[in-house]
Amino acid sequence: MLTPVTLADYLPIAVMLVLAAGFVAVTLVASRLVRPDNPTPEKLAPYESGILPEHEPSQRFPVKFYLVAMLFVIFDVEIIFYFAYAVIWTDLGWYGVAAMLLFTFFVAETLAYVWKRGALDWNVHQRRRYIDREAA
Amino acid sequence: MTVIQFVILGAALFSFGVYGLLVRRNLVLVLLSVELMLAAVNINLVAFESMLATSELLGQVFTVFVITVAAAEVGIGLAIILMIFRNRQSANADELTLMRW
Amino acid sequence: MNFEVDYLALAPELVVVGTILLVLALDLVLPRPRKYWTATVAVAGTALALLPLAAMAIEGTTRSMFDGSFVVDQFALVLKGLFLIAGYVVFLMSHHYIESDRYYQGEYYLLLLASILGSLVMSSARDLIVLFVGIELTTGPLYMLAGWRKGDVKSNEASMKYFILGVLSTAILLYGMSLLFGLTGEVTFAGIAEATAGRAGEPLLTMAVLFMIVGFGFKVSAVPFHFWAPDTYEGAPTPVTAYLSVNSKAAGFVAMLLVLYLAVPDLSQVWAPALWVLAALSMTLGNLSAIRQNNIVRLLAYSSIAQAGFMMVPFAAAAVAGADLEEAFSATVIYMVIYAVMNLGAFAAVIAGARTTQSGEIPAWAGLGRADPRIGVLVLIFFFSLAGIPPLAGWFAKFVMFRSVIIAGGTATVVLAIIAALNAVVSYYYYARVVKTVWMDPATTDLQVQEPAGSLRLALGVAVVLTVLIGLYPAATTFVTEASKVLATGG
Repeated sequence: MLTPVTLADYLPIAVMLVLAAGFVAVTLVASRLVRPDNPTPEKLAPYESGILPEHEPSQRFPVKFYLVAMLFVIFDVEIIFYFAYAVIWTDLGWYGVAAMLLFTFFVAETLAYVWKRGALDWNVHQRRRYIDREAA
Repeated sequence: MTVIQFVILGAALFSFGVYGLLVRRNLVLVLLSVELMLAAVNINLVAFESMLATSELLGQVFTVFVITVAAAEVGIGLAIILMIFRNRQSANADELTLMRW
Repeated sequence: MNFEVDYLALAPELVVVGTILLVLALDLVLPRPRKYWTATVAVAGTALALLPLAAMAIEGTTRSMFDGSFVVDQFALVLKGLFLIAGYVVFLMSHHYIESDRYYQGEYYLLLLASILGSLVMSSARDLIVLFVGIELTTGPLYMLAGWRKGDVKSNEASMKYFILGVLSTAILLYGMSLLFGLTGEVTFAGIAEATAGRAGEPLLTMAVLFMIVGFGFKVSAVPFHFWAPDTYEGAPTPVTAYLSVNSKAAGFVAMLLVLYLAVPDLSQVWAPALWVLAALSMTLGNLSAIRQNNIVRLLAYSSIAQAGFMMVPFAAAAVAGADLEEAFSATVIYMVIYAVMNLGAFAAVIAGARTTQSGEIPAWAGLGRADPRIGVLVLIFFFSLAGIPPLAGWFAKFVMFRSVIIAGGTATVVLAIIAALNAVVSYYYYARVVKTVWMDPATTDLQVQEPAGSLRLALGVAVVLTVLIGLYPAATTFVTEASKVLATGG
C-alpha cells in the first residue's frame, strides 16, 4: 500500500539547489566587488578598433550534403535490425526470413518514394525542373 | 573497470549535451547536442546491461531502439533545418522569435 | 522465449500499418489530380481498424504477448478506440483544409496515420521499450506536421520549437529510463514494480523518477515545461493543432500514468509532490495566460495547458494523500476522454468559424453568432463545455475530478482542490468572453458566411452529439471506469 508523502526525501535536492544558486550568486557578487568597473563606448564595442559589424557573417550551408546526410542516416540505421536477425537466424527459420523480407519491403517502398520525389538527384536544379514538370 | 566509470561518462556526456543545447545558436549544433544526450543514454544502457547480464539482453535491445529513433529524429531535424534555411537563409536559433507570449 | 503472436490482438495496429503502406504506394503511383484517393484510403483504414477493436471488446478477454510487454485489455481497448476515433475526426477536419493548401496531400495523411499507429502501440505498452517506441512514433511525425505549411515562416518556427523541446524531453525521459533499468534490471512495468518495492528514498531511484516526470512534463506541456505549446499550436495548421492538443497530449498522459501507476507505485513519495506542483502550476499559469490572449488558437493552447492541470489533479491528490489510486486513475482517464471530445469540437468550430471571419483574432469574431447562428451555437456549446457548465459534458469531467479529490482527503489535497476550484472560476471568464464576442458584440466588418465542408460538418456533428450526450447522460462513460479497474487488478 502507498505511504503518505514526506517531504524529507526532497531535502537533498533542495540543499543542492540552494548550494547551486548560492555559488552563482557569490561568484557574481564577488567578481563585481573585486574587478575595476570603467566601461567606455569603445570598450563595449564588439571590436575595439575596426569596422562595426552590421550583421552576422553568413554561414556556409551546403544544402545538397545535408539532404544526402539525412537520407543516409535513416537508411543506414536499418542495418541494425538485420544485424540482430543475423545473430539468431538459425533459430527463427523461415518465419524469420519472411519477417525480414517484409521489413526489407517496407524499407524499399520508402526508398522508392524518396527516389520518385527526386531527392536522390544530385543536381538540385534538375530536381526543381522535375517537380515543376510533374505539377504542370 | 566498474559500471560506475561508464555511468559517470554517461552523466558527463548528458550534461555536455544539455549545455550545448542551451548555449549553441546554430541549429545544427543544437541537433548535435541532443545526439550527445542520446549517446549518453546508450552508454548507460550498455554499461548496465554488461553489469546485470539479463537473460534477454534487454539493455542492448533498448539501445538498438534508441539508436533507431535517434536516427529518425536526426532525419526530421535536418529536414526542418533545411526548410527553415530555404525560407530565411540562416540556421540561427535566435532568429526564431516571430511568436512571443 | 516466446514467439507466439496473437494476430487478433495486433489487428488494429496491423490494419493501420497496411493503410500506411497503401497510402504511400498510392501517393507513388497516382497522378496529381487523383491524389485525393490517399485521403479516402486513410479515412477508410482508420475506420476499419475499429472493427477488430469492437470484436475484442465484445469478447472481453485480456490478451498478453511477448512476456507481458504488450497487453491488450479493456483499458487498452478504450484508449485505442479514443485515439482512432479522435484521429478519424481530425482526418475529417483536415480534408478540406489540406486540399485548399498548395502542398502535397499524401504525406499529410501518411504522417498522421503514423502518429495514430504510435498511440495505438503506446496504449498496449506494458514495458519501457514498447512505451518509448510508441511515444516517439506518436510525436515524431507531428514535428513535421507542425511545419506542414513549408513556405510559412510561422509554421517553420512552430515546427522547430516543437522539435527541439520534443527531442530534449525524449533525451531526458530516456536518461531516466536508463537509470531505472540499471537499478532494477527490468524493463516490464510489473518487473520494475516488484524490484522497486520498499526501495523508496534511494537517491538514484529518486533521480530516475524525476527525470522521467520532467520528460513526460514536456510531452503533456505541463507548466513549467510548456513554453513550446502556444507557439507550436499557433503556427501549426489548425487540424494538426487539434490533433496535438488531443491525441498527442492524451498519449503523453497515458504514458506518464502507466509508468507511475504500474511501474513505480511504491515510489509515490517521490512523484506525488512533483505531480502536485505540476498540476497546481499548470492550472494557474495556463488560466492566467489564457485571459490575456487575443488569438483564438493561442487561447485554446493555454486552455489546454490548464485542462492538463485539471487532468492531473485526481491522480496527484490521491497519491499525495496516500489514498487508493484506482479511483483517481479512472477519474483522470474519464476527464481525458471528455476533454478529447469537447476540445476536438472546439477546434472544429474554430476552423469553421475562421472560414467566415477570415481571422484568428477574437475581436474579428464579433457578430459571428448573428451572421451564422449554427456556428455560433457550436462555439457556445464547446466553449461552455470546456468551462464545465452543465448540462454539457465538461461538468461531468469536473465533477468526477472533485469527487475523487474529496474521496482522497488530507490537507495537501484540500489545498489542491481549492486551487482547482479557483481556476475553474477564472476559466469561465475567458471562455465566456469568446462566446460574448461571438453573440453580443456588433460585427465590425460585413461577414461573408462560408459553408463548412461536408466532412467538417460531420466532425462537428460527432463532437456535438457526444458532448451533449455525455453531459445529459454521464452514465455513458461507466465503461471507462470499468476499463480502468481492469488495469488495477492486473487483468
